[in-house]
Amino acid sequence: MDTTHMNDLADRPVTDTLSSLKPRRMVEDRPVKLEVKSLNFHYANGHHALKDINLKLHDKTVTAFIGPSGCGKSTLLRTLNRICDLYPGQKTEGEVLLDGRNILSPKEDLNLLRAKVGMVFQKPTPFPMSIYENIAFGIRLYEKLSKSEMNDRVEAALREAALWDEVKDKIHQSGLGLSGGQQQRLCIARAVAVKPEVLLMDEPASALDPISTAKIEDLITRLADDYCIAIVTHNMQQAARTSDYTAFMYLGEIVEFDRTEQIFTAPSNQKTNDYVTGRFG
Amino acid sequence: MTMTTMGPDAARDPNAATRRLQRQDRVFFWLAWGSATLVVVVLLGILFSLVWESIPAVRTFGLSFLWTERWSPAKEIFGALAPIYGTIVTSVIAMVIAIPLSFGIAIFLTEICPKPLRRPIGTAIELLAGIPSIIYGLWGFFVLAPLMQQFVQPFLIDVLGPLPIVGALFSGAPYGIGMLTAGLVLAIMILPFITSVTRDVFQTVPVMLRESAYGMGMTTWEVMRHIVIPYTRLGLVGGVMLGLGRALGETMAVTFVIGNAHRVKASLMAPGTTISASIANEFAEASGKLYSASLVELGLILFVISFTVLALAKWLIGRTESY
Repeated sequence: MDTTHMNDLADRPVTDTLSSLKPRRMVEDRPVKLEVKSLNFHYANGHHALKDINLKLHDKTVTAFIGPSGCGKSTLLRTLNRICDLYPGQKTEGEVLLDGRNILSPKEDLNLLRAKVGMVFQKPTPFPMSIYENIAFGIRLYEKLSKSEMNDRVEAALREAALWDEVKDKIHQSGLGLSGGQQQRLCIARAVAVKPEVLLMDEPASALDPISTAKIEDLITRLADDYCIAIVTHNMQQAARTSDYTAFMYLGEIVEFDRTEQIFTAPSNQKTNDYVTGRFG
Repeated sequence: MTMTTMGPDAARDPNAATRRLQRQDRVFFWLAWGSATLVVVVLLGILFSLVWESIPAVRTFGLSFLWTERWSPAKEIFGALAPIYGTIVTSVIAMVIAIPLSFGIAIFLTEICPKPLRRPIGTAIELLAGIPSIIYGLWGFFVLAPLMQQFVQPFLIDVLGPLPIVGALFSGAPYGIGMLTAGLVLAIMILPFITSVTRDVFQTVPVMLRESAYGMGMTTWEVMRHIVIPYTRLGLVGGVMLGLGRALGETMAVTFVIGNAHRVKASLMAPGTTISASIANEFAEASGKLYSASLVELGLILFVISFTVLALAKWLIGRTESY
């Protein structure tokens, strides 16, 4: 394992960040999966958390959202599968187009939307059931499979999340008995098991130790071959290591959005430069 | 110990001030101990007097007291079967009705209810718990029982009566009063207790767990059924037991509507009695040592049942909190 992956400190000098940059991939010509158009978001208390956001997420790429606490990056992620709708009183304006269809429309079926746009949270949240059921349950919401088909799907999802070898002997035990890192990979397995198109990750490694963090980052890099991934992170090395594009947000606005190596080597905005070099944040 | 707050005396003789504080502290220490001990002493005292007063009945009837149906003050033959049976049956009826209703209300309050309505509805349900039980008794006797006699019971007898096995529960004449009506009144009385515990344990579910369940595309029903209820199941059992404890011991309301007959009948329409109703009804007229001793022994049985149920409830609720 690469030892630079072991360090979870967020604000290291920019040279270290550069050394961890992901190898450049040709992603420019990949189709746009998710397009955000002049999105504004107000919380129930009136706080204007997102201001006129415009953004394109490409298929099979990883886009990282960085910025200081309270800049709106998590809020933005939470509008993309409308999980923020759970809390009445908030107001979302603008458009979020998934393959050209506006998912903010009141007619949108939220359950189907969330099957297409999966989410992984800051802390592992295994459901109170067995490891097997944690994954099978989500699949059963949308598909009717025979027992053997289901077994295959569960195994495939666990393999995809690099968890199969660690849990194959205790698959019918409670998911709560796994370590934090394993639980988080279980949550990723659960999210990919329903074959989503977009995967949202809200600081997926912030509650994990460095080794588990490295595993999750490896996983994100591999999943990028199949999914459109949006990841919020406080850790700039993580953004550099895992993402193809990076958006720097500040006070509810996107200050700069570009190729990740551009953001970390030659940002065009002074604020971005200050943030990625650790001068504020 | 610091010396800064001891006043002018302390400046002259710090040792005297320290001794005074130590004395105060010792008094406080024993006061606190004494208050706590008092509770245990009262509890043990009640238990002891129940045992002591029931000795004549225990000597005469032995364990057969528990399964003898006959209750004849004239012949001085007493058996607790009918009150025990009535207590259990009315409580079971109450639980069967109150549990689904309470869960439904709690789910509504935590997941579905619009925010501005949450407090008024929650308060209204808690106020149900504040109504004195004598009022439930009056209402049960003058309002609910006639309604049961005219509409509900004839309907049940017609529809369910002819069925095999279940039919026995719904046979006989519609008296209005009886075990079914008593169970119904009890259900309304314990509803607020189960609801408030249920709502509280539902709120212990971590926000992120709920969000990730919704994030999988689950409906509210699926989130409740497969995530929230399994996650809180120990607390839910605790809340149910708390309600059961109250149903077992409730006296006044039941005495009004149960009919006070020392009989064991399969039919839920039949008049019966419960332990607490028997005691309340008969204590004033209990002449003779054996009669009153039998009533006290009934009390002892209720004490043991309620104590067990409540202890179990506390234990289960405690285990959820340390989840």
